[in-house]
Amino acid sequence: MSELTPVELEVGQLIIDTLNLEDIAAADIEAEAPLFREGLGLDSIDALELALAISRQYGFQLRSDDENNARIFSSLRALAAHIAAHHVK
Amino acid sequence: MKDETLLPLTLHAPQDIVAWHQGQPIRCVEFLAQAAALAATLPAARHAVNLCEDRYLFMLAFAALLLRGQVNLLPPNRASHVVEEVAAAFPDSYCLVERPQADLAVAQHAVNLALPSLAVVAPALIPAAQLAAIIFTSGSTGTPRPHCKYWGDLVRGAARARERFVLEHYVGGTIVATVPPQHMYGLESTILYPLLSGLAVHGGRPFFPEDLRQALNEVAVPRVLVTTPVHLRACVAAGLSWPDVSLIISATAPLSAELAAAAEQAFSCEVREVYGCTETGAIASRRTLDGPRWYPYTGVQLHCSEGRCKAVADFLHEPTPLNDVIEQHADGFILLGRDSDMVNIGGKRASLGDLNQRLLSIPGVQDAALLLLDADSERGGRLCALVVAPQLTEQTILDALRLRMDEVFLPRPLYRVARLPRNDTGKLPRGELLALLERLRTGDGLQ
Repeated sequence: MSELTPVELEVGQLIIDTLNLEDIAAADIEAEAPLFREGLGLDSIDALELALAISRQYGFQLRSDDENNARIFSSLRALAAHIAAHHVK
Repeated sequence: MKDETLLPLTLHAPQDIVAWHQGQPIRCVEFLAQAAALAATLPAARHAVNLCEDRYLFMLAFAALLLRGQVNLLPPNRASHVVEEVAAAFPDSYCLVERPQADLAVAQHAVNLALPSLAVVAPALIPAAQLAAIIFTSGSTGTPRPHCKYWGDLVRGAARARERFVLEHYVGGTIVATVPPQHMYGLESTILYPLLSGLAVHGGRPFFPEDLRQALNEVAVPRVLVTTPVHLRACVAAGLSWPDVSLIISATAPLSAELAAAAEQAFSCEVREVYGCTETGAIASRRTLDGPRWYPYTGVQLHCSEGRCKAVADFLHEPTPLNDVIEQHADGFILLGRDSDMVNIGGKRASLGDLNQRLLSIPGVQDAALLLLDADSERGGRLCALVVAPQLTEQTILDALRLRMDEVFLPRPLYRVARLPRNDTGKLPRGELLALLERLRTGDGLQ
């Protein structure tokens, strides 16, 4: 029943591996659900770790001071779209 | 006898830059004019919750409240029910916000940054005896506990820090910070140091390493970075090329020598930690790489008896108890653990902090927390553990622990978890740990 695209699955797996979320598989993440607080329940320290993993895997740095930031982290789908648009490797 | 002294709001000259707001320098004369204009429009009240997130707007709101003789209320976090609880304790209060928040059931006043005329503004003087802020901590009982801060004490405390870090070396430079201004460490180091030394402050709150790198690049040198171990770790790991920083100050949690060394290398400057608590503000510092000894600020004395210490200083209203067990030396002190961390199980005493370090010293253990439950029972309670160790089994961890501590301290149960519920400053609120424990117990029996 996975509705995730290959990129979303890949980013979901990165989140799971980075944050050691043991009880969930990438295919189980709801594409539109929030990543922080509710949803996966990630916090700001998770965000720092995730930013590091993304920079290593995709070769670009996340930033929070542009207007899109809240949107980028609003869901797996939004984050995957942001990565697809900005990755340099 | 009431102290009638008046002390300046800022030591900056009129044309000095006091802050960088959205990339633009703000001169002292503009800041004072904006603060006076804001002060004139504030509702009549005695207290206001200062919720501004933008650091420059916070500083402006802080100053406007001082000018109007109103008290800054600083809640322990921004959760709406916490803010409402704090506001409810002061019936005439309102919230100062950047923009109205629909989820907040409290009267709100938005900080308006319309540029006032730069008419000559009289030097702003604040009575030393004026209550400037009430800072709230979470408190062991779950109710926020108030801590009163008077302007004279804040000014004298900032002067001690200015001496310690020789801030005049950085006159004309800028403080850039990752910590919010609403707690004591953030208030002192990112609002008071800039107002009361020759440094300006970056008006934002950079979060990701790349945000911080850009913020550092935007401001005038020399740069002073005010941060926490959590952010330092992220910055070092990001492997970026950092602009020159002249000094890094860290607080809120102990910094490891390993991370301090990596940070000194990445930023090519000294990393220094400050020691203090909400009750006292900063009272001592150390350069992490020089060893575990803390050096009290000039004029700070510790009066210790049977391991319990009170701090005495000209910026403290009264001798103030510290929460840590301290070993005094001729020229400084060493922290042995938090007082509240002492446990006595089966007649054996230990520091929870120390036991936790032993747990963390097991290869493969990445993070861990120990909780004392049923402390009132005859045996003095039992420890349970939450451990992040993806490669180990519970049994392996317990076997290793057995080698490292008396068996009365062996945790039961010991749960392996994906991560610990650390808050924004890296601390572990007991309530969060208990909630996690409860979920594990009622969950799938992962043991």
